[in-house]
Amino acid sequence: MNSAELPSLELTRRALFGQGAMGLGALALQSLMGAQRPDPAAPSLPHWAAKAKRVIYLLQNGAPSHVDLYDHKPLLRQRHGTQIPDSVVGGRRFSTMTGGQTARPLLGEITAFSRHGQSGATVSSFLPQIASVSDELCFIKSMHTTQVNHAPAITFLMTGGEQAGRPAIGAWLSYGLGSESEDLPAFVVMTSRDKEASCGQIFYDFYWGNGFLPSKYQGVKFRGSGDPVLYLSNPKGMSQSMRRSILDGLGQLNEIKLQAHGDPETATRLAQYEMAYRMQSSVPELTDLSREPKHILDMYGPDVLRQGSYAYNCLMARRLAERGVRFVQLMHAGWDQHRNLNTQLEIQCRDVDAPSAALIRDLKQRGLLEDTLVIWGGEFGRTPFLQGDIANTRQWGRDHHPYAFTIWMAGGGVKPGITHGSSDEFGFNAVENKVHIHDLQATLMHLMGIDHERFTFRFQGRQFRLTDVHGEVIKPILA
Amino acid sequence: MEDSGKGQHRPSHRRMRSVVRLGCLLLVLGSLECRATVDFSREIQPILSENCYHCHGPDANHRKADLRLDEERAAKSSGAVVPGKPEKSELLKRIFSTDPDEVMPTPKSHRSLSAAQKALLKTWIEQGAPWGRHWAFEPVKRPPLPSGKAHPIDALVRAKLKAHGLQPSPPAPRETLVRRLHLDLTGLPPPTQVPQDLSKLIEELLASPHFGERWAWEWLDAARYADSNGYQGDPERTMWPWRDWVVKAINDNMPYDQFTLLQLAGDLLPKAGVQERLATGFNRNHMINGEGGRIAEETRVENVMDRVETTGTVWLGLTMQCTKCHDHKFDALTMRDYYGLYDVFNQTSEDGRGRSGQAAPAMDLSTAAELQRSKLANAAVEAVAQEVEAFELTKFPRAAGKSLEQSEAIRLPGNLPAYIAKTAPRARGVDPLLEAIGYFKERDQAYTALLQRLLNAQREKLAAANAITRVMVMDHLPKPRPSFILEKGAYDKPSSVQVSFNTPAVLPALSKQAPRNRLGLAQWLVQRDNPLTARVTVNRFWQALFGVGLVKTAEDFGVQGEVPPQRELLDWLAAEFMDSGWDVKHLLRLIVTSETYQQSSRFEGRSVQLDPDNRLLARGARFRLPSWMLRDQALALSGLLVPKLGGPSVKPYQPEGIWEEATFGKKTYTQDQGEALYRRTLYVFWRRIVGPTMLFDNSNRQVCAVKATRTNTPLHALVTLNDTTYMEAARVLAQRLLLEPGGDEDRLKRVFERVTHRAASTAELSLLHSRLEDLRGKSAASARELLEVGEARLSVKAPAGEQAAWAGLCLMLLNLDEVLCKE
Repeated sequence: MNSAELPSLELTRRALFGQGAMGLGALALQSLMGAQRPDPAAPSLPHWAAKAKRVIYLLQNGAPSHVDLYDHKPLLRQRHGTQIPDSVVGGRRFSTMTGGQTARPLLGEITAFSRHGQSGATVSSFLPQIASVSDELCFIKSMHTTQVNHAPAITFLMTGGEQAGRPAIGAWLSYGLGSESEDLPAFVVMTSRDKEASCGQIFYDFYWGNGFLPSKYQGVKFRGSGDPVLYLSNPKGMSQSMRRSILDGLGQLNEIKLQAHGDPETATRLAQYEMAYRMQSSVPELTDLSREPKHILDMYGPDVLRQGSYAYNCLMARRLAERGVRFVQLMHAGWDQHRNLNTQLEIQCRDVDAPSAALIRDLKQRGLLEDTLVIWGGEFGRTPFLQGDIANTRQWGRDHHPYAFTIWMAGGGVKPGITHGSSDEFGFNAVENKVHIHDLQATLMHLMGIDHERFTFRFQGRQFRLTDVHGEVIKPILA
Repeated sequence: MEDSGKGQHRPSHRRMRSVVRLGCLLLVLGSLECRATVDFSREIQPILSENCYHCHGPDANHRKADLRLDEERAAKSSGAVVPGKPEKSELLKRIFSTDPDEVMPTPKSHRSLSAAQKALLKTWIEQGAPWGRHWAFEPVKRPPLPSGKAHPIDALVRAKLKAHGLQPSPPAPRETLVRRLHLDLTGLPPPTQVPQDLSKLIEELLASPHFGERWAWEWLDAARYADSNGYQGDPERTMWPWRDWVVKAINDNMPYDQFTLLQLAGDLLPKAGVQERLATGFNRNHMINGEGGRIAEETRVENVMDRVETTGTVWLGLTMQCTKCHDHKFDALTMRDYYGLYDVFNQTSEDGRGRSGQAAPAMDLSTAAELQRSKLANAAVEAVAQEVEAFELTKFPRAAGKSLEQSEAIRLPGNLPAYIAKTAPRARGVDPLLEAIGYFKERDQAYTALLQRLLNAQREKLAAANAITRVMVMDHLPKPRPSFILEKGAYDKPSSVQVSFNTPAVLPALSKQAPRNRLGLAQWLVQRDNPLTARVTVNRFWQALFGVGLVKTAEDFGVQGEVPPQRELLDWLAAEFMDSGWDVKHLLRLIVTSETYQQSSRFEGRSVQLDPDNRLLARGARFRLPSWMLRDQALALSGLLVPKLGGPSVKPYQPEGIWEEATFGKKTYTQDQGEALYRRTLYVFWRRIVGPTMLFDNSNRQVCAVKATRTNTPLHALVTLNDTTYMEAARVLAQRLLLEPGGDEDRLKRVFERVTHRAASTAELSLLHSRLEDLRGKSAASARELLEVGEARLSVKAPAGEQAAWAGLCLMLLNLDEVLCKE
């Protein structure tokens, strides 16, 4: 018997029954809004005052090249074309795409680096807008992970486990903290891809899965076309007044049922349908951009009005944050430059640069950046050495690289304008103040007011947590 | 029960109250007899397991202070537990200590004992600290039946109710019970007629071909059955003959022990034929990761592990995955146990290369029509490829005899030289063509159009090849592959410890004569002295009928799982199941003929307060139907259901663009037409990376799932209010009604009864009348559009507005709480 969870449950049932039918309905309504409240079975949270109330995760799916964008290694250009020393590689594992390749010539950055802002952050010429907000950003240049292929690495990053089946961070947070929004999902996911349609990684639904948590904590995918939320629109030919009439009738008949049968579940049903009705108007209101002023739209760049673009999703992320959504997981594919680094990286950066920076500025000017944590980064980095033939300059590429990469964070209790940690002179291994994926996750939880070691869920007889049995908060970056 | 129905009460005094309540609850759900003797397995072991085993349990590598509390001898010889002498027991000293350095569990563990738990441990030691084995590892013994009721289930349940001073509920009304039986046994709603003879009805339902369809669902969830591999590319598979094998086996009432032998080891049986080998598809239903850059051996090892873990969950109710990297923290399971099972699944020729959904070993079940389609598709590709070649001679001019590689095409940017210049048109795949089309669409329309035709032809070629029925099955390597314990479960870190097939040491041993292969494993699983298989299986059937298992943690029968409050009932049923020859229909008949099953589900009486979750079974089960059954119900009530059995999976309505969005346009969902739209949900095509959108709270068919989940979110309501299937069902239901004679009163009565399976009360009828009037006033505007939702067409004379009003009313009825629920 799992006696630990029974008392509160019984208490509540009794409370429900003590109220009589009318009170029952009211309580149930509250309980369904409880889709937005923390789960009653969750530990009492937060553990301490949260610095961040919500998170926007800008996941750069496919893995941006850290040595071309943020982690400047002059040595790569100096020794361009020469073999990376074996002592650095040290028998490390790579994907099968370069695993068998013996020639590993270093590849100098294909961009130009310069320093920006008061903090003097190093950012590539491909990302001028991000560079211009670098005083708001905290760069972590010593990230490392254990996974070398996309799907396991993204799963590891978003769920703490490399195989499908664990809850995503957003599911943990909506389970533990609920949401401040009453009629939008607590955990929203949006995806986009590069315009060139170069080899993109598929967005698996387990990247935003609920794992073993109740399925209502699964991320809700806002679609890139059609209804933003599946089945949001009434069937063709059904007016909103007809829908209202149906729901009114449903409510009356369910109320009779509730009186006769007494199952509190029926009261929950009443509330469930009312909330669905509210969502049918709150989501269209959310996606109606007609009242956004031109200067705001311009900031996000030319694609902002195209549903399903990265720019559109960034603007939507701000609107979701304004409405109190707890976790926005925005995924953008197209960074997997195995063979097209010098043709595609620049285009890819152009799509991402302005919207990312605009989101930071927009949140800041609305006072939302203070308590919104924004994270920008991929699932790993890219090799400092070349994939391909050095003579064939049009098809240079870099392979997957888990041993060092760069991400940045902003807002939500993170120190602005700093760089934390570093990689070695090749950008190959993280060396100073190394930050593992579990450390990043522990820090995110910390900023949300949660001790990652104490926030657990019992499944298959074990207390599971996001960080498994690992993870240390990155204290130096806390504001 | 529904988790959303649970409490929102999070008052600060909750903790305080819960201490008091815990005592009461232990009285309610704990040992009935009396507080006098503490039951080790039910009351003590769960406390020790939850709070102590993590550091003082079976895992030798992480054991602290060399103390273990999971073994009687170790716990007592160390002085931690001194029978009869609480003052001398170190365990008690530590748990009652107020010194943070001394108190256990250590504050660092974030675990703590309640006052009631501490008191219980003290009482137990005072009583001499009697030990016991974990209940689920004890042999299944048939407990004696209490006197009173003739039906064994009722005798056991009533005795427990009586001990708690509770009364059972009266029988459910006849029409409710008939609906309950139909839904439980066939997954479909009953026809309107209420039969006179209940036992005859039960026999009819058990013999119905829909019985197998209904119970296959749970097995498909457990077997992680799907129609594609999952992961990048997500190639289609043709495992549906395996699915049909399952339905047939269940309909034939194949004994569960034989079913087990066939699913796990049909190929190893003497004279194994097609059917026997087909059954072993069970172990090939896992996902296959064919992502670019993926190391095949890593995938192969992952697949073997999936088989170990699935077998552990489905038959043993054990969380084997915990022992992949270390000895189990709670259960007496070791890494050696894990790899002992690993070895038995490691002897298959499957190589981990996952490019196709028909990865060898696969059994050819192709038909002439499938092969013909493929032949035509190949020819079509060849024809377009020649056109492309001709076009490219002009587009990328070069000297005679020179290849495309020696033309300007090699200077195209990015991936294109590899995709275009170096690859002959007939060999260009979908991804390269998509990228090429993306590049050329603004630059060369004629060329783009040609490439688009090539893409279409290649897609059809691929689809045709994928549709040739080949079922992935198990085989046996002639020369055994050595298996090693893998450090931290990593495929590339074999330790020096070689292991061969064995079953977990804590469970009864494998017989000496048993074959050392999957067949030996299967035989061992259904041995009479295996304490787990029958209990775990019976529990799953119970869960499907009652919404929650006798053991709530259907996936975990280890020490961290729930000790069943009705353990005697579980054991009696498990013994009966085995002694009946693992007769599934007998088991279900036994359950549904009990008064316990047939009770009213109305919330009344003391049990509502004392046992809100109904674990003592003072009332019948009431819970929302699984989403697949909701769809089947809507189709059946409208008369649209096409009750055909088996065959390739079908593609009913789904919102547009679902697959495209998830696969970057590489996969297009082409909705079927006609009959295929109205087949049972069991047959709906399941793409692993983006499952059927109309389902919710279901297993995602990615890994084995045996636990029922039920939540409530507004998104679920949006499906049953807005999905084409539901709107069409409501519309057709309304139109059929309008084709029948009668006035409003007649029709309202009839439709209400058809959908709910009971007569409307006067109050309900009057609400229906006024609702119909209201809808009539609101439906005219866009009635025609509404009537065109869905493809079924009925010729009805009534004006469109009238039809639409009734359609709205029917949609409302399909969404009634009592229609969504089984009562």
